Amino acid sequence: MKPFNYMRATNLHEAIGLLAHHTPNVCLLAGGTDLLIEWRRPSACTPENVIDISALTEMKGIESGNGRIVLKPLTTHAQILKSQAIIESAPLLSVAATVIGSPQIRNRGTVGGNIMNAAACADTVPPLIALNAEVVLQSESERRTLPLHELFLKPYETVARPDEILCEIRFEKLPVKARSSFIKLGRRNALSISRLSVAAVVARDEAGVITNARIVPGATFPRWRRVVEAEKLLVGEKASAELFRAAGDTVSELMIAETGHRWSTEYKEPVIAVLVQRALEQCCR
Amino acid sequence: MEKEHNIVSTQQRRVDAWGKVTGKAKFAEDYNVAHQLYGKVLRSKYPHARILRIDTSKAAQLPGVEAVLTAKDIPGSKVFGIVVKNQAILAEEKVRYLGDGVVLVAAVSKEIAEKTITLINVDYEPLPVLPDPETAMQPDSPRIHDDSPEYEFRNTFVHHKVRKGDTEKGFAEADFVIERRFKTQFIEHSYLEPEAVLAEPSEQGGVKITGSIQNLFSSRRSVATFLNLDLNKVEIIQTTLGGSFGGKDEVMTAMCCRSALLALKTGKPVKMVNSREESMLESYKRHPYVMYYKWGVKKDGRITAMEQRCIADGGAYASMSPFVTWRSVVQATGPYHCENVKTDVYAVYTNNNYTGAMRGFGSPQVNFAIESMMDELAEKVGKNPLEIRLQNGFERGAVTATGQKLEHNVSLKEVLTKAAHSSSFAKKWNDYRHQPPSPKKNGIGIACSYRGVSLGAEGTDAAGTIVSVQTDGSMIVSSGITDMGQGAQSAMSHIVAEVLGISLDRIQFLNTNTSRVPDSGPTVASRGTIMGGSAAKRAAEIVRATLLDVGSKMTGITAEALDLRENYLVHTLGETPVPPGVESGDSTSRRCKRLASFTELAAETFRRGKPMYGFGWFKSPKTSWDEEKGQGEAYFTFVYGCNVAEVEVDTQTGKVDVVEFTSVHDVGKAISRGGVLGQIYGGVAMGLGYGLLEEFDFEDGVPKHLNFDEYLIPTSMDVPPVKAIIVENEDAAGPFGAKSIGEPANEIAAPAIVNAIFNATGQRVYELPANLERVLLGHKLTRKGERGSVRKSAAETWTDASCKIRHKATDE
Ligand SMILES: Cc1cc2nc3c(=O)[nH]c(=O)nc-3n(C[C@H](O)[C@H](O)[C@H](O)COP(=O)(O)OP(=O)(O)OC[C@H]3O[C@@H](n4cnc5c(N)ncnc54)[C@H](O)[C@@H]3O)c2cc1C
Repeated sequence: MKPFNYMRATNLHEAIGLLAHHTPNVCLLAGGTDLLIEWRRPSACTPENVIDISALTEMKGIESGNGRIVLKPLTTHAQILKSQAIIESAPLLSVAATVIGSPQIRNRGTVGGNIMNAAACADTVPPLIALNAEVVLQSESERRTLPLHELFLKPYETVARPDEILCEIRFEKLPVKARSSFIKLGRRNALSISRLSVAAVVARDEAGVITNARIVPGATFPRWRRVVEAEKLLVGEKASAELFRAAGDTVSELMIAETGHRWSTEYKEPVIAVLVQRALEQCCR
Repeated sequence: MEKEHNIVSTQQRRVDAWGKVTGKAKFAEDYNVAHQLYGKVLRSKYPHARILRIDTSKAAQLPGVEAVLTAKDIPGSKVFGIVVKNQAILAEEKVRYLGDGVVLVAAVSKEIAEKTITLINVDYEPLPVLPDPETAMQPDSPRIHDDSPEYEFRNTFVHHKVRKGDTEKGFAEADFVIERRFKTQFIEHSYLEPEAVLAEPSEQGGVKITGSIQNLFSSRRSVATFLNLDLNKVEIIQTTLGGSFGGKDEVMTAMCCRSALLALKTGKPVKMVNSREESMLESYKRHPYVMYYKWGVKKDGRITAMEQRCIADGGAYASMSPFVTWRSVVQATGPYHCENVKTDVYAVYTNNNYTGAMRGFGSPQVNFAIESMMDELAEKVGKNPLEIRLQNGFERGAVTATGQKLEHNVSLKEVLTKAAHSSSFAKKWNDYRHQPPSPKKNGIGIACSYRGVSLGAEGTDAAGTIVSVQTDGSMIVSSGITDMGQGAQSAMSHIVAEVLGISLDRIQFLNTNTSRVPDSGPTVASRGTIMGGSAAKRAAEIVRATLLDVGSKMTGITAEALDLRENYLVHTLGETPVPPGVESGDSTSRRCKRLASFTELAAETFRRGKPMYGFGWFKSPKTSWDEEKGQGEAYFTFVYGCNVAEVEVDTQTGKVDVVEFTSVHDVGKAISRGGVLGQIYGGVAMGLGYGLLEEFDFEDGVPKHLNFDEYLIPTSMDVPPVKAIIVENEDAAGPFGAKSIGEPANEIAAPAIVNAIFNATGQRVYELPANLERVLLGHKLTRKGERGSVRKSAAETWTDASCKIRHKATDE
């Protein structure tokens, strides 16, 4: 690991000031579970200045009220999976947090780090996009809010500037009638990167007709997004195996259209369709 | 039935447990001395290339650098090898795989040593890379070792055969023929602790090396010839080892030689430690095999002919291949009757990492093929997998493929029956064949094996253990057999404690030191307990005889009526009821009278000037081998084991979960019950990795992954509860009847799982591991070149330190 200047911020204001002062040769350190691994690589571009934000108490915690959840970025996966508010109003996010890494990683890794690292396989991102989450980026000069899916440019790249800090993630609680699911497919049952994942939300009226559907696959598209093309098929229909299979096939076709044929396509093509189908079935069980 | 034991076969603690769970155990990297330097190796840039020029001038000028050495600086032999001496300690003319060391440096700090490496310029002329053994065997392929003798085919350095009966006749008698091709993968040993040593120049010339080394005596021989030193000038001391699984042999020998050379050249201690990436890049792996199996069978399930042709990828150097493939050739047809057998096993050089010893040693590969074939045979003749094994399996008096008559208790059918019964195999197997259609399917699979114990006709097989009683009745034990975490020290301690009637806390076991114990061969082939344990028993018996003799003189009671029990010298009173007032000091209810404490007895023995030191030496019973005919008494005894795996297969994603597992092994005698269970659990977990997950993959000789982020081994969430059943048919050859368990525990899990997948899906996997793609699609998918967004291949990343675009691991 190459040497760098290490600074430990004691409050958000100080962190933002340090960012502004050192930009662009600066990087924030939260739980470090992505960064420290990355910096071990001999070819890693280690930043000159590292600001440790892990002590910022105002950046930790889950607030619930007024039909909304405000998730502070330094909240760990372990805290998310234990949160009663999340279990009740965003169960798919709770599920995603339970399947991340191992107990050690979940105790250390933060949701903010998971988002800002912007890996195609980040497990909290599909649920958060399915929750229509917004993120708040703060710098010395401005504070801006944007839908989470607009944050990402491509794997490992976001629109955030080096002087910006992610200070809030917020979303509306799922309506009581809506059901949600998250499915992760890894090569093994723990400490496993998502080969593919799917987050889904389905709301139905009394007659069982689907009124709202959201599908967000992970490790599937070059840019994170809801697959509105597949969601459209569902709205106004009643749940059925054929319907969900059609939605799955649509996601699969779009994946190939957007990523082309890769070494893994032969596998991913049928499997993403099945996972979408299963995620929708879980919502309607 | 048998004698009662106080220690042996009961639940006892491991002697190394305390240090390990409290963090007091000292692993190789924990050793530091004043003025030590840090050694580093510059490794090859190409999997196959000629070295044109090495320029170290810039590196040598860096402040803090104390030595920059190349092959030219080696005083003695530049190559080593257990059979074929051609492995470079530092490559001179050619590099043959990416892990080859080229230049050696020592500096005052790790950072400077790392920097030094980047200042060295080596010019290469890249040569064609041979990553595939079957291609390397073609006559028009270039030779990887110009001077190495070839057997029949290009780059082929081993050809072992077994010939029994007449396979042509056998196939003529057959009702049909089953012919299949199987393939296995490279496997990383995945020891927790990467390679590390500390080499110090000795006061009297020579060198002292402390490190994470499995086979100290082989490493010592190579260091001595490398440095032109007598063996008594090279002292190698084993630290507490953080795992080995067969993996800390040649790679450690190379590290020992390099650090010792640096130490002697600089006159200072030199420490070398591999990072995980360096470890994976340089260390040897388990051999991948390509196996062509052809069996002639009768409609009733009998086998009339077995023809096998196996090709082992030996990688860049011969290493243990000659021995590994020899075990394969002996065991290639399993514990099954057949009059006509023809087996050929070849080992071939390629430009991949060299392959060598790993837990199983040539058996996991062939067991996968044999046990898959057995299931295919069952399917073909309409029997269940248990029936077909019971029909064809060995019993006492059976004659093996190598013509050896099995005179010991052949417990194959016992382990098969026990495993099948305890897992409800036959019923479940039948039920799962007829399960209703569903995306998730269950399956159950069985696999069994026989395995030759210890080295067999591979070579000299003998070991020594020393028991030294102190004047206070405590005990120091040491052995030429090393403990790598497998529990050798515990097993030997349990045996000594049993023979001397003492509690385990009296024993201090010393880590192996080549200058203080006799050369006992390598600690391999599951020979620790049977060889080291037998020697320990003899050593303890020598001491016991002296102590009882002194006891007899002390008390006037004949030695025959004396015994050592629970830390006392006792007078055995036979079965007669104890008269009132006489102590009964034995919890096992054997009647006896305590005469003196063990401590008093030890002090008295010393006072009388009697030796309190016992040296036990054990040489294995005779074995034989005729290389031409491929016949002989290959091993002096065998063990038998059976595994049953139950799986759930997601037929739409290819994900396989092992949900239940039964492992039955005849160990002869469980010296350390907990130790045997530990070996069984660990063996199953490792076998599960072999069956489902692990694959050390290369692209044109370049490893695709160098750490556990991408080389996936099972986690505790992947390993099901394992039902372990220990069978004990005492064997005449071993201490208290003990045989072995280390490798047997690991060698049949994968075929049991693959057979279970077949039971669930009706699809057979012919290439390991049975990962998502193979189970779903029936074949492997290979990532070519860059991965994810901008990732370069792993090895390039680690050999080329230039700062490229940021990249990450994603499993794209
Ligand atoms: C063994 C292992 C297993 C893992 N398994 C999984 C898994 O199953 N699923 C999964 O999704 N991930 C997994 N990860 C990845 C990682 O743990 C998660 O992405 C984690 O959430 C990252 O959070 P962190 O706090 O550790 O981030 P850090 O490493 O501290 O930071 C990551 C990135 O985010 C930036 N950042 C952090 N906080 C902020 C902020 N508030 N504002 C702006 N930028 C910020 C950092 O500058 C950095 O670029 C695993 C990692 C390891 C080592």
